[in-house]
This record gives sequence, structure tokens and C-alpha cells, in this order.
Amino acid sequence: MGKLETMKERYDQITIPEELNIRIQQEIQNSRKQQEEKRRNKFKRIIRNIEVTAAVVCILFTAALNTSPVFAKEMGQLPVIGELIQIVTFRSYETEKDDIAVSVEIPTLEMIAEDTGTLMDDINQEILIRCNQYADEAVRHAEEYRVAYLETGGTPEEWAEHSIKIIIDYEIKQHNNNYLSFVVRSTENWTNANSESKYYNMDLRTRKMITLKDMLGDDYIELANESIQKQIAERQKSGETFFTAEEGGFTGISEDVKFYINGYNRPVIVFEKYDIAPGSSGEIEFEIIKEN
Amino acid sequence: MKQILYEKLIQYILQNQDRFYRVAYSYTRHQEDALDVVQSAVCKALEAHESIKNENALKTWFYRILINECLTALKKQKKLLLTNDDLNQEEMYYEKGYESNDDIEKELDKLELDIQEIIKLRFFEDLSLKEISCITQLNLNTVKTKLYRGLKQLKENIQEADIWVN
Repeated sequence: MGKLETMKERYDQITIPEELNIRIQQEIQNSRKQQEEKRRNKFKRIIRNIEVTAAVVCILFTAALNTSPVFAKEMGQLPVIGELIQIVTFRSYETEKDDIAVSVEIPTLEMIAEDTGTLMDDINQEILIRCNQYADEAVRHAEEYRVAYLETGGTPEEWAEHSIKIIIDYEIKQHNNNYLSFVVRSTENWTNANSESKYYNMDLRTRKMITLKDMLGDDYIELANESIQKQIAERQKSGETFFTAEEGGFTGISEDVKFYINGYNRPVIVFEKYDIAPGSSGEIEFEIIKEN
Repeated sequence: MKQILYEKLIQYILQNQDRFYRVAYSYTRHQEDALDVVQSAVCKALEAHESIKNENALKTWFYRILINECLTALKKQKKLLLTNDDLNQEEMYYEKGYESNDDIEKELDKLELDIQEIIKLRFFEDLSLKEISCITQLNLNTVKTKLYRGLKQLKENIQEADIWVN
């Protein structure tokens, strides 16, 4: 046997003290703690940096708008004015009464530039009223439900387990240089029948609410009906179920049909659950393409 | 990404702790010192884990730290021996049982430190010459030359060793 082999053999026989593993585990634990701390500090630092930057930008911008009439005017005339409108949560609150939880987020539109006109205020006012109305209605529904539940033999404990929730919130469908499209929704988690939604579509170039007529032209009703009929026929072929006219299915759109604007700047007509098809289909959407 | 490497490093350490200890022991010949060496190597590696470039380099990167720690410990031991006249210190240096064995270890000890190191890594730890060149940060040819010189000094049959190297 060569010397090296003997040495190797003896080397492999070096006994490993039990303490080794204990010490190593200790080191690893220490290191993990440090890592955790480091990450937390880093995160805090980033947040602080963002806050500081945001504050500085805000101050500069406001200062410029307030001190320089030229700058303020320029801002108002910039062609990208669409980007300067923003939708923010104006007020959000959550309440709970009689085990009915209500969560409300009220959106509001804000123009950063001057000269917003009264339109924005009108829209905001309308949104606010609608949200409150949704909330009141939903709470009333829930209260009625509670009374009925208790009268028909349910105990308050059982009622508490129901976890009734009312959520009023908004979703931005599209926000680009031309359009702002969003929906305000009210959802009651114990029933499908009471969901309500209202769509808002704004043309940011004119800063006015935009209608289907504005988008599709005077014959928008015929155009949309034709397109929807065609799409229903196609979807039926691929197995989707729609109500027939007798069952209360699609017969034609009304003037106040719900729609939003998608990324191609095309209107998308929305039918709520149960409107024209069984509830299992959920909301049904039809993109309307205007052919030139 | 960094997080994944960190976890890989921990895994690697846990799986190979016995090897690390043997390396440390082969340098220090002393249980407490060897434990200290491994522990501080692990500590340093975990602290510096962000400097690992990729997973493949993990092994050689760790060995480099470990061997640096071994050399530091050796220096400390020597200092202790020089400043302390007590001859009993000698016993701390060579653990009992180890010394009473053949003189083979002593023969290895007579070689230059870096040659010892290369022989240990190649034959005891079974690392490739390329890996050793990474750990020692010596040119691959230098590693080869030193290895051959070491084997010659040990009067080891080069022919036989040649097969091992390949």
C-alpha cells in the first residue's frame, strides 16, 4: 500500500466531534437572523426614499403651478393632458353593524391642471351619491335578510356565521390619452341578484362623458344589435347558452346600455349576470367593431 | 437570485461539514482549533455570501475561505508556541494518538505548506487540479509542478500517482 493511500485512510478516520454540527447550526441561525434584519432595513430605506422623492416632486410641481402662471398655463395646454387626469380613492371606509360588514371605496376624478370646469365636480358628485345609495340599499337588503332569517327560526349565532359582506368599489377599465373608462360596482356576497354596476366613460380630449352614439355614429343601435346577434350565434355554435327571446333573452340594446372602452378604443357592451343568459355565464361582453 | 444562492450555500455547508472538519484538523491537529476554524469559516462565508458569483463556484469559494482560516489558525498556534516556554504546549499541538502513528504524517508535514495543501486537496478531498488551482489561486501548471515535486519528496511512486491525477 502506498504512503498516500495510508495517509488517506487515516485522514478519513479523523473522528468528527458532535460539537461540530451544533456550532455550525448556531452560525447558520445567527446568519439567518442577520439576513432577516438586513432585508427589513433595506425595505424601510426604499420606502423612505420613495416617500422623500414623491414629496419633493409634489412640492416642486405645486410650487411651479402656483408661482409661475406661464408654467401653469403650459401644463393646461399640453397635448398629453389625458395623463394628467387621475382617478383616486376619495373616501374609503369599512363598517360593521349586526354582523353586516360594509366596505366602500368611493373614486373621484382629479385634474392636476387648472381649469377643470364644473363637469368633473358634477361627475364626482354623481359618483358619491351613487356609492352612498348603493351602500344604503345593500345594507337595507341585508337588514331585511337578517330579520327574515331570525323570524324563520335562525339564531343570532347562526346569523353571525354568515359573514355578510357588502363591497362597493371601482375598477379602471381603460385609461389612455384618449379615454378614461371605469366602473363602480356594488357586490353583496350572499346574493347574486343584487349586484349593481355603473360604467363611466370619458373622452379626455373634450373632457366630456362619451356615449355609444359618439363612438359608433347615429345608427349605433342597429350597428350594435347586428353585431351582438352575430356574436351570440357564433358563441352558441361553440356551446354557450343564451336565453331565447321568449325566456327574456337578447332582443336589442337600449339607449342606456352599459359599456366600457377597451384597449383598442372600441366600446364593449356589458350585460349583467342573468340579463340574457343563465347566471352561470356571469357577465357577458360584446366588443363592437365599427366597420368603415 | 441571491436568496437562492444563500440557501444553496447553507445546504452545501450542512452536507459537507465533516469534510471541512477533516481539512481543518489536518492543519491544526487539534480538536478545539479545528472546530474554531470551521465555525469561523462558516461565519465568514455566510456573511460574504453575496460575493459568490455563481453556484458552480460555491465549492472552490468555500474551500478558499476554509484554508485561509486554517492558515490563520496555524500562525496563531506558532505564535503561541514561541511565546510560551512551557514544553507541555507541544502536546496541545500534536494530539495524542495521532503522533504515535507512523511517521508518514510527519513526512507530509516536512513538505512546504502549499505543497501539503495541494496533496491534501487532491488525494484526501479528491478535488480536481482545476478546482485546486481555483482555491489556491495558482496557475494550473504551477499546481501540477508543485504536486509532482511533493510526490517526489514523499518518494511516492510517480507512475502510480500519475494514474490518480488523471
